[in-house]
Amino acid sequence: MKEKHDYERARRYGMVIDLDKCTGCGACMVGCYMENNVPFKPDETNKLDSINWIRVYKLNNGKPYPETEICYLPMPCMQCDGVDLHGHSPCVSVCPAVATDYDDDTGIVSQIYTRCFGCRYCMAACPYHARKFNWWDPVWPADMKKALSPDVSPRMRGVVEKCSFCFHRYQLARNKAYFENRQNEPLGEDDYQTACAQACPTGTITFGDLNNKAHAVHQLKTSPNAFRLLERLGTNPKVYYLTAKNWVRRQGDNYLTDEEPGKLKQKR
Amino acid sequence: MKINRRNFLTYTTAAALGGAAGTLLTPVPWKLMDDAAIWTQNWPWTPVPEAGPVSYKPSICTLCPGGCGIYVRFSGNRPVKIEGMKEHPVNKGALCPMGLSGLQYLYGPDRVRSPLKREGKRGEGKWKKITWDEALAAVTEKLASLRKLEEPQSVACITGMEGGTLPSLIGRFLTVYGSPNLMRQATAQDAGAQAVFLTQGKQGTPGFDIENADFILSFGSGMLDGWGAPGRMSRLFGARNTAQRFIQIEPRLSDTAASANRWIGINPGTEGALALGLAHIIVKESLYNKHFVETFTFGFNDWNDEAGVAHTGFKALLEGYGPENVSRITGIQEALIKSLAREFAGSSRPIAINGRGKGALPGGMNETLAVHALNALMGNINKTGGLYVIPELTYAKWPDLGMDGIASRGMRQPRCDGAGGDLFPNSRFLLNRVPTLINTTKDGSPVEALLVVDANPMYTLPDTAATRKAFERIPFIVSFSSYMDETASYADYILPDHSPLERYQDVPAPAGMSHQVISLAVPVIKPLYDTRHTGDAFIHMAKALGGFIEEAFPWNGYEAFLEDTLQGHWRILKKKGVVEIIETPAASDRFTFNTASAKYEFYPTARAGTGKRDSDVLPAYAPAILDGDEKTFNLILIPCDSIRMAGDHMASSPFMTKTVDDTVLKKQMTLVEINPATALKLNLEEGGKALLKTPKGKASVLIHLYEGIMPGLIAMPRGLGHTAYSEYLANKGTNINELMGPIEDPASGLDMAWGIRAQLFRV
Amino acid sequence: MGSNGHHHAASTKATPDSAIQASGWGVGLFFMIGFAGSLLAGWILFPEMLYSKKKQPIDFNHAVHLETVSDGCDSCHYFEKDGSFTGMPDLSKCVDCHESAQTGNPEEIKFVDEYVTPGIEVPWLNYSKQPDCVFFSHAAHVMGAGMSCESCHGDIGTSEHTRVYEENRLTGYSRDIWGKNISRLGKPEPGAPLPMKMNDCAKCHEEKTGRKGACFQCHK
Repeated sequence: MKEKHDYERARRYGMVIDLDKCTGCGACMVGCYMENNVPFKPDETNKLDSINWIRVYKLNNGKPYPETEICYLPMPCMQCDGVDLHGHSPCVSVCPAVATDYDDDTGIVSQIYTRCFGCRYCMAACPYHARKFNWWDPVWPADMKKALSPDVSPRMRGVVEKCSFCFHRYQLARNKAYFENRQNEPLGEDDYQTACAQACPTGTITFGDLNNKAHAVHQLKTSPNAFRLLERLGTNPKVYYLTAKNWVRRQGDNYLTDEEPGKLKQKR
Repeated sequence: MKINRRNFLTYTTAAALGGAAGTLLTPVPWKLMDDAAIWTQNWPWTPVPEAGPVSYKPSICTLCPGGCGIYVRFSGNRPVKIEGMKEHPVNKGALCPMGLSGLQYLYGPDRVRSPLKREGKRGEGKWKKITWDEALAAVTEKLASLRKLEEPQSVACITGMEGGTLPSLIGRFLTVYGSPNLMRQATAQDAGAQAVFLTQGKQGTPGFDIENADFILSFGSGMLDGWGAPGRMSRLFGARNTAQRFIQIEPRLSDTAASANRWIGINPGTEGALALGLAHIIVKESLYNKHFVETFTFGFNDWNDEAGVAHTGFKALLEGYGPENVSRITGIQEALIKSLAREFAGSSRPIAINGRGKGALPGGMNETLAVHALNALMGNINKTGGLYVIPELTYAKWPDLGMDGIASRGMRQPRCDGAGGDLFPNSRFLLNRVPTLINTTKDGSPVEALLVVDANPMYTLPDTAATRKAFERIPFIVSFSSYMDETASYADYILPDHSPLERYQDVPAPAGMSHQVISLAVPVIKPLYDTRHTGDAFIHMAKALGGFIEEAFPWNGYEAFLEDTLQGHWRILKKKGVVEIIETPAASDRFTFNTASAKYEFYPTARAGTGKRDSDVLPAYAPAILDGDEKTFNLILIPCDSIRMAGDHMASSPFMTKTVDDTVLKKQMTLVEINPATALKLNLEEGGKALLKTPKGKASVLIHLYEGIMPGLIAMPRGLGHTAYSEYLANKGTNINELMGPIEDPASGLDMAWGIRAQLFRV
Repeated sequence: MGSNGHHHAASTKATPDSAIQASGWGVGLFFMIGFAGSLLAGWILFPEMLYSKKKQPIDFNHAVHLETVSDGCDSCHYFEKDGSFTGMPDLSKCVDCHESAQTGNPEEIKFVDEYVTPGIEVPWLNYSKQPDCVFFSHAAHVMGAGMSCESCHGDIGTSEHTRVYEENRLTGYSRDIWGKNISRLGKPEPGAPLPMKMNDCAKCHEEKTGRKGACFQCHK
């Protein structure tokens, strides 16, 4: 059983993604691949078996030329807090192996590959398609193995993987904090950033502790333009999106024709 | 107790049971279970990356001409990641997907690992490993024999870099050897450079101060699709303030158009007409910068020359481009043309830029001149938020060349591409003309030996079939590529260069930057394979050729040459990696122009000459005549660019390709975009198979319906369809150059094509 | 196998000829032989067979080094500025003192000849090596919790010779991870390195911090 936790004081790492700034360049994806030893195959066009920890989706307002508009939407793992913020995220609730778990200290949903036995319940449970399965053992051709980072362990066939909010960077940042004897202070925004936020050339992705007033995300998430995906499922994602475009916002959840996004009562 | 055949089994069983019971009381089952679990978690084929101290080495990304600053992250002595350099003036920390995946080009299976000599037929892929001594001797021998035949001009060299000291070194080599034929494939930046020369009389490239402009009018430039330095452009977009307006004009809703404040659809290829149409309104409504135009420009009004002959000026040219006419040509409503012109002229620092997509194709010279004229009308030349000229770097004086009669005679021969000749005096190289010129030569080839450095013309040149035919006729092809690209795989010898992270390379003027930034890419690791810097290879060959050719290269290697060449900059570059020269020209110098009139020339006198009418000199709208009969080929195919795909001689890295949507590439098929309305007429549906035919070729494609493209057009992504390289990069879709040919701009000889007529059948 | 044996026992019972019948004593005796044999095999032979014995490439004398250096363990096993722990020093650190042999010690001469001169890293065998999925923060334990090196690694600092490295044939990891004691019952001898399996970490964490800790605290 999960112990009760004081969520106001705990860290809750989250992301605010400004869709009006995203140009769809894909730097976040490539930055993530390189950082997290994400595998690749000669053919990656079957997106059902293509492993991405963050994927940029292309939305379209569906209007004819020349009224057409498109919007790019980067989607990492939403790191759901679950109903009532108790860490019962959809995937954690169904994992029979405790291979995926919710970290009360950071709010990050962990995935331990050596613990996972590949039942894929979590993939079925995740409403965001954030989880990917290794159908094959990854192959790194030629000398590509030399580019693997020691900070993230490479996965093997038969396990599920997903975005970790670059948790290894949190570990390294904590290491440094210990070394500098500031382990009892909260980490600064610059101490811990995800690879995608760092790679984003337009500043679309802002990452930080949602509960820390000194972090930009704390304020950004309260913007009237902020919303979360499939908010009404009660998954409580820690990834917020910003957009001034109503048509984009409508695609973020299932709305009835007479419902207006942003005007519905939300549970936090 | 007797043991016999019958009770033996009983006793054995008893012993086994005892053994089993005993075993349960030993660690054996529990320990083995635990160990087996650990064993299953550590398959020997799952790599365990070796940990080491983390360090960062600064360098410059040279995968495209952008020249963004990078940090290479090391784990021990292994580069494991490339990240943007925050303090670099070009990109300030931002990088594109190509730069971010740069390590895949270093470690990938596409590297050529040693010098190779062709064994089988050309392009067959049968190679023999040879030593560097053998490889260099073979090339030197060929070059020496052509000199002996007194035909040094039959040696041509194609480079890929837009500047830097390596092309200068190769140019020096060719000069002293006796060949004028140093070429590269011209881009929009070269068209811009020629426009700058024609209007301002300066040798240099245009630099756009987009950072400080408040109204950016882009004639189809894919500012977020890889135009200029991608890192810089993305960062600028993210950092732009609300006061900046950014208007994108193109027939397809590109990623750039999607991020612009406003996207205006336009009939493809009519951008030049729109520029003149806007100028028409600005002049008619007197919205232009009169002080600048009256004081510092030439050819705006009509005038009489010294001989008393009356000439038409730019203003008179504009009379033909009233909104009604321009609306008809461009498909943009009159009211919109007018309001756009007023908004442009009403801004305090408006800037107009051109070069379609990434700027891979130069486009018509008149179109570029018309866009430059818009900037000149507003006086936005060499000032904040305007159009600057980045002068060509003047390198240190190298020792004078001693040349023999063979070399001098060779250098006096016309270039094999016709650039700089009577036909195209203002163009410096016209590689796009070479395949046709070779193919139309009766016997043999004007090019006897072709050296290809950092370029991949067999992929990047339009009309792949014609290019291949021409290359078939070149008896001796040497590639210096680091990768097994299309040209390398067709070459007779490959003398592989180090890959970008293993070599020195100076990047003098990042594409599109508004001021001079000289950066130095340094080797961050020792070469992984048996490769050699191409600069070293050329210096070696010069020494082997001996005599005055050897004397022209007193350096013991490329690094010494670089140090000697960059002189004062070298020390700073070695230390800091970058020299930033922000020269704000003195007010008096700002409007110093080196043209015949010493003014900015709306009427470029350099284009005038015997037999040239004013209408040939002024930048009238001169549309490209597309190949193909309009009735048979009832659609128009245009290329489209994406920052997620490499468009130049490099193929997209595996990670770049991985980011590409399945609406662009599916298995081995390219998806072409067409408007749903067009699809309905042609009975085509989403994901369906179709045959795409153009006068140049045909390809099997899949259909993607996209509302954001003008009806009647087909958009095909550039950068797909590589036939060489490994399975990670090759055989993905169609190379658009197989379907599109060059169109020679009568004004410059540059390739002015932006599309081709096409037809699409359901199959 | 068990059920098979039972079947045979039953069929033997049905045989009328008592001369060939197995005696109860006999069954008991053989059972005990099997029982005792397996106990011996399981407790003595099995641990011997499970681990292969490897020698370190150089017989390193910690005691001598500790006398010479000024900064204790930290002299060679130190933290980088980013808080990461260097662990086994690489050759460049050794070369600081051992560019050429300092003493006549044959091991040192071997070290210089075989590794320093040709510039080859010494393939030390790491007694505490963890699987790739483990992230262990030395900083958290040493700087944060104020633990000494000895509290986990035992008194290796005073050793004059390198121990035999016992490598688990199945997992490839050092015997130290499981613990010298194959039963994992009782406490390790004083001065011996502590076992380092996940449960050991969790147990200590629970004792010291009240929580086992989140997965990502120690996994990557």
